[in-house]
Amino acid sequence: MTTAIQPAGGSNGPSGGPSSSSLADVMDTILDKGLVIDAYVRVSLVGIELLTIDARVVIASVDTYLRFAEAVNRLNIAEADPKAGLPEIVDDVTSGAAKSKTKGVLDAAGEKLGGLLNQEQPQRKKATRVRSQREDR
Amino acid sequence: MSTDSAIYVYGIVPGDVELEESAQGIGDPPAPVDIVHEGDIAALISVIAADHALGTPEDLQAHAKLLDGTAGVAPVLPMRFGAVMTDEDAVAQELLRDHHDEFVQALNALEGQAEYLVKGRYDEGSFLTRLLSEDERARKLSEDVRKAPEDASRNSRIALGELIANAIESMRNADTKTVIDGLAGIASQVNPREPTHEWDAVHVALLAEVERQHELEEVVSRLNKNAGGLMKLRLLGPVAAYDFVVTAKAEG
Repeated sequence: MTTAIQPAGGSNGPSGGPSSSSLADVMDTILDKGLVIDAYVRVSLVGIELLTIDARVVIASVDTYLRFAEAVNRLNIAEADPKAGLPEIVDDVTSGAAKSKTKGVLDAAGEKLGGLLNQEQPQRKKATRVRSQREDR
Repeated sequence: MSTDSAIYVYGIVPGDVELEESAQGIGDPPAPVDIVHEGDIAALISVIAADHALGTPEDLQAHAKLLDGTAGVAPVLPMRFGAVMTDEDAVAQELLRDHHDEFVQALNALEGQAEYLVKGRYDEGSFLTRLLSEDERARKLSEDVRKAPEDASRNSRIALGELIANAIESMRNADTKTVIDGLAGIASQVNPREPTHEWDAVHVALLAEVERQHELEEVVSRLNKNAGGLMKLRLLGPVAAYDFVVTAKAEG
């Protein structure tokens, strides 16, 4: 039996099949899981430098809570309370709504970048030292 | 082998696996992928410069792509990203020969199977709308937040946010269980992963026969239909069995 290796993109699944892995999907996996070479060989590493890649860990905090509350606020504004008078709406739009919407967009953009580069994420870990909590499995 | 080069190791495969010419490795330009044989097994490797800095997005994707492309057609034991050894002799002797039987056994166990991932997030709007319609306390807090000025409503906002975080967590646990139950009979092993995003609904790795992939697709599409827009699950794979390879002995 002989088996060929081909790039993942080359083998087409049926349409509607699995989606391809994004960089974020890949990072969740290959930095955190797989065989760890220094468990097998004693003298292995040469002077290779790993660029710092951080794994994100979700930890609920007051910041998270405030962000969730803000999401509810956006929802409320989007649903346009029928009882609200015109002045209140105008007020909402000029202060709260416009501000919070902009922030929402910025947050989302920051999150995307963060997913790739992790410039300001808490809980940083170096790729060389990422260890799974389930490593013993 | 001169000391200014090193060997990057992607993973371990059965000895009868052959490389396709289009296979590309890490680095820029991509290093060619080579194969080191020892007994019944082999390692997929690239020769790289010893001062090569690893870890660009392209490096990560090259590592994953090579192994995942292999996983669809042959068993593969993936190394965690960043495995480097001094030279090909070290790969053949210290890695492959010293652990030969153990690797053969693991590869046999994977025969015909690959890892798949089921993951998805909640739709923020749908989730919150549903929560507000079902949870009296959430509705009341949301009213408080809306009426009071920002400074005065801080405590209410924190309480509302905490309530939402708890609701997501309990919904996540329930939906993860639903997914795992739905995979029963198809998956030979299941590994629920930690969430990596606050809106993560489900993040489950599973091992299954590659031939039964269409059954996985059916399960995921049925679960999506049942969720009615609340969450959208994706099926990823086949990928190398990162979640199911076991490091036999850990030092330090």
